[in-house]
Amino acid sequence: MTSENEKLKSALEIALERAQKLGGMSSEEKQKLKDEKLESVGLALSKRYLKGLPIRDVEMELTKYKADRKTVVRYLLSYLVDGIDMNEPDTAERILEAVQHFSGAPTAEKIRSIINEYQSAMKQAWQKSQETLGAAKIKELKQMGISGSAVMPAIETSAEWQRTKQKLNSDYKKRLDETKLLFQAL
Amino acid sequence: MKLVGEFYAYLWPGATMQEMMRYGNNCNSYLVANALPKNRHVLVDPGQVVNEARQNCLERLISEMKRDGFKIEDVGLIINTHAHPDHYGASESIRKMSGAQVAIGKEENEFLKLASGEVSKALKSMGFDMPELHPDFYLVEGELRLGQKLAADIMLTPGHSDGHISIYWPSEKVFMGGDLIFYGSTGRVDIPGGSAEALKASIERVAKLDIEYLLTGHQYGGPGIIQGKEQIKRNFEIVRREVFPYL
Repeated sequence: MTSENEKLKSALEIALERAQKLGGMSSEEKQKLKDEKLESVGLALSKRYLKGLPIRDVEMELTKYKADRKTVVRYLLSYLVDGIDMNEPDTAERILEAVQHFSGAPTAEKIRSIINEYQSAMKQAWQKSQETLGAAKIKELKQMGISGSAVMPAIETSAEWQRTKQKLNSDYKKRLDETKLLFQAL
Repeated sequence: MKLVGEFYAYLWPGATMQEMMRYGNNCNSYLVANALPKNRHVLVDPGQVVNEARQNCLERLISEMKRDGFKIEDVGLIINTHAHPDHYGASESIRKMSGAQVAIGKEENEFLKLASGEVSKALKSMGFDMPELHPDFYLVEGELRLGQKLAADIMLTPGHSDGHISIYWPSEKVFMGGDLIFYGSTGRVDIPGGSAEALKASIERVAKLDIEYLLTGHQYGGPGIIQGKEQIKRNFEIVRREVFPYL
C-alpha cells in the first residue's frame, strides 16, 4: 500500500515537475513530449476505429491536429497494423480499409498480399503437419496399445504444431512490422 | 469396487439427498484395469480435483483405486466423455502423475475453445469453472482397440453436450454413458451445447444395444450402476415415459 502511494505520488510529482519545467525544456525535449502526445492520440483513434468508428469520423478527429495530422495518422496506422490478426480476416480487412484510405492502395495491397501468403503458408503447414505429425502420433499411440478407427490425433495441441505455428506467426509478424516503414513517407 | 472382469467403478457419493448435500458434485469414475501394455489402465471420467463442497475428489479416487490394488501412476489413458469440469477436471493433474494420454470427443474440444473465450462468462455463472485440457487425441465414432484383445465402440451421443461420447464394451456388455442417462433421469440439456432432441435420439440409439451394465456419470439420488438387461430396459422405458415429455 505504502509503495503504491509512493509510486502514485512520484508519478504526480513528475507530472508537476514537467509542467513547471516546460518553459525550461530543450526543443528536443518539447518535441519528444509532443510526439508522445500525438502517439497517444493515434493509439486512441486506432482503438476507436477498431470498435467501429467510421473513417469519416476519424477524419473529423484528425482535423484537430492540422500540422500534426501526418504524425497522428502514422501512429494510427502503425497501431492498426499491430492489431492485425492474420487469422481474423474480417478485422484485417477493416484495418486494410483504413490503410488504403490514409496511405493509398499500394500499401494496403502489400499488406493484403502478406496476409494472403501467411494464410496459404499456414494452410500448407497444417496439411503437412496433419500428415507427418498425425502419422507419428498414430504410431506412438499404437506402441502404447491404443489404436482403431475412433482414434484421431490432436495435431493442434501438439508441441510440434505449436512450434511451427509460432515460427510462422513470428516470421509474418516481422514482415508486417516492416510495412510500417511505408507510413514514414506519409 | 470391482464390477465385472477388469472393470472397476468408483462412484461419487450421491445415492441419497443427504450424501449429495454433503459431498457436492463430482462424477463417477470407471477403470478398465490392465487394458494397455505394461499393465497400464484406462480411466474414464476422472472427475474433479476439488469440488464446490471442498471435497478432495481426486484424493478420494486415488485412495479408492489403491484399495483395489491400482496406482494412479499406472493410468495410461484418460478418456473424458465430455468437456464439463466435473468429469474432465482432474485429467491434467493425473497426466502429470502418470504420463497418461488424454482423449475427448472431437466436438467437445471445440466447446473447450469456446469455453475459454466467448462463453466463459455464461459457463462461470452456471458454476462451470473450466480447467485446462490439452487432449493428445480425439475420439470419434468408431472402434477403439486397447492392447491385444480389448475393443470398445466409441459412440457420439450428443444431447447433454454437443460432442458427448459414450463407450460400449461389447465383450462384457458394459456401457459407459457419461451424462447421457441416469437412474430414472437424463443429463441436463440447458448448458451451452445441450439439445433435448439430440439427447432423446442418443438415448433411443443406446437403448438398442445389448447392455448388462449401464454405468452412469452420477448417482443423483439413485444407483450409479444399473445392472441386468431387464432393469436397464425398464430404466429406458421410465426415462422415455417420465422424462422425455419434459425435456
